[in-house]
Amino acid sequence: MSAVIEVEHLTKRFRSVVAVDDVSFGIEENTITGLLGRNGAGKTTVMQLLTGQDFATHGDIRVFGERPVENRQVLQRVSFIKESQKYPDDFKPKHVFRTAPWFFPHWDAELAERLIDDFRLPLNRRIKKLSRGQLSAVGVIVGLASRAAVTFFDEPYLGLDAVARQIFYDRLLEDYAEHPRTIVLSTHLIDEVSNLLEHVIVIDQGRILLDADAESLRGSATTVVGTRALVDSFVAGREVLHREGIGGLASVTVGRLDPAERREAGELGLELAPVSLQQLVVQKTGASTGIEQNA
Amino acid sequence: MTALDTSTRPASAAAHGAGRILPVARLHVVNRLQVLVVPALILLFILAVNMVIWWLILRSITDPADRADAQEGLQYSGASFYVFVYAVVIGVQAVAYAFPYALGMSVTRRDFWLGSALAFVGLSAVYSAFITLLAVIEQLTNGWGLGGRMFTVLYFGGADAPWYERFLLFFAAFLFCFFVGAMVSTLYQRWRVNGMLVFFAGLTVLVLGGIVLTTLTDSWPAVGAFFVAAGPGGLVAWSLVITALAAVVGFVVLRRSTPKN
Amino acid sequence: MDESRPIFVQIAEQIENDIIGGSLPEESQVPSTNEFAAFHRINPATAGKGVNLLVDDGVLYKKRGIGMFVATGARERLVAKRRDQFQNEYVKPLVTEAGKLGISESQLVEMIRREGTE
Repeated sequence: MSAVIEVEHLTKRFRSVVAVDDVSFGIEENTITGLLGRNGAGKTTVMQLLTGQDFATHGDIRVFGERPVENRQVLQRVSFIKESQKYPDDFKPKHVFRTAPWFFPHWDAELAERLIDDFRLPLNRRIKKLSRGQLSAVGVIVGLASRAAVTFFDEPYLGLDAVARQIFYDRLLEDYAEHPRTIVLSTHLIDEVSNLLEHVIVIDQGRILLDADAESLRGSATTVVGTRALVDSFVAGREVLHREGIGGLASVTVGRLDPAERREAGELGLELAPVSLQQLVVQKTGASTGIEQNA
Repeated sequence: MTALDTSTRPASAAAHGAGRILPVARLHVVNRLQVLVVPALILLFILAVNMVIWWLILRSITDPADRADAQEGLQYSGASFYVFVYAVVIGVQAVAYAFPYALGMSVTRRDFWLGSALAFVGLSAVYSAFITLLAVIEQLTNGWGLGGRMFTVLYFGGADAPWYERFLLFFAAFLFCFFVGAMVSTLYQRWRVNGMLVFFAGLTVLVLGGIVLTTLTDSWPAVGAFFVAAGPGGLVAWSLVITALAAVVGFVVLRRSTPKN
Repeated sequence: MDESRPIFVQIAEQIENDIIGGSLPEESQVPSTNEFAAFHRINPATAGKGVNLLVDDGVLYKKRGIGMFVATGARERLVAKRRDQFQNEYVKPLVTEAGKLGISESQLVEMIRREGTE
């Protein structure tokens, strides 16, 4: 395994706001990585920096071992689909699919055709007149059909309904399996994508909170539910990730429990609930902004 | 061995570059209707409206001396200015819309600017050829048979200029419009409203200062003499200087710009 | 998919179940990693990890360029393994709990028999 993207001490400042704060990470080649976090956490800025669309204040970015800014050799192997992508004023989807192949050497026209059918995208309507979901579909199709060695999807499916999102996941997996490539997916619909991800990076307030294999995160936290006294005695001495309570009941999230501990909890009459990746992210990113109000 | 490496790599890099610049140029003209058909149709429509007016003038003025007077006045017509405004708009939109799109297609800013410049030169040539053709017809038919003037007006060489002189005048004027439009648009891309305010305030101060200075020093005759002495060829040359300046400034500004929502 | 355990373990278990249940007979071809990934909507690397777990155990074997097959004797070994697991995970706690409640061995056998006839 080798890192196709390497970031060291990356900082991006917009006047007084620090959008990305001394961040270092790597992304392995031919993996699907989830870049997760709340709105405004810095996900989009990171992707803008990785694709040379914005300029770092400090730090070093390497994509295929080179700096991406104004680097044709790097950029022509990169595809960046963002929620806020602008299109020429008079463009229709057909213009996008006519022009995109000029810029992506591995463009697959057949795949694009198929996706256009899947998403029932009207080709002859002005882009300005498309619904939010149809606009997202245009981006998703470009992102998949461009088949770039590194593909970034930044909130690619705003306005897409559940069926269309499922189509996106299925086609993504299918095409990724046949043509392995590096995919970075930023989204807040974490539950929907958690099984697709091989690696997870959670970013909050410009800093990395979590950078781990998706599989290692499964079962890495458990919520213990029961009467307050029982729960408190069970979790005593453990690191508490999250705590909620109502009346005499408490719901406390702790780290990984081994089978013996699970049995012990069962014998105490405590209920154990697995913590999904989404809940984990919510708890990690919610806690640091003081969202807890139950104390 | 190393000599071979260094000699082949830049060559292949250059080939890749051409492979990105041309597509950017094509990007600007992908919608033929918008860049070629619509402006031509509007121009022909304006011509038709003008012909009706010229015909009305001819009908209402019967005295030959008055007629000559009226036709003398027509050589200052601004009826064809619309296409030049259209060129400015295309220049502005090239940066406002095509730039964010091109970056979305993983194009570098440098390749975007070079490709756009190529498109501007190509479009200028096509537009100029079309209008030169209309000017020549206007010249040969003595103002569409009505004594009208739209493409042979004074600032575009007057009634008797040769076709290639007309072509060069139009060509330079279009280049000027495209590049200045695009350059101003880069200021907006990079600095938003503040950039616009500073630019237009600066331009106003410059123009106003020039007028004040010229008036104070009683130099208006000298200014007039300059234009006469420069002639069409000189004016083309001067406009090209400004066009080139706009191209360079636009590039430098765009090089550090990021499209924002 | 169960949230509390790694997906690749669950994939491996499902293949084991299919072998034990007979829907994947010995020497038959197993779906490819990508087919597993598409079916379960999971990352192909994860599916691959699950399949490789069984390859390492000798339950599956690779035929170069063709695919993955169920090894001869795999079912027998899996059943034996599951029996051990059954003993450890179900019978042991059962007996322990019965002891706590003062249920004698013959009473326990009777209780199990009653469950079986229902």
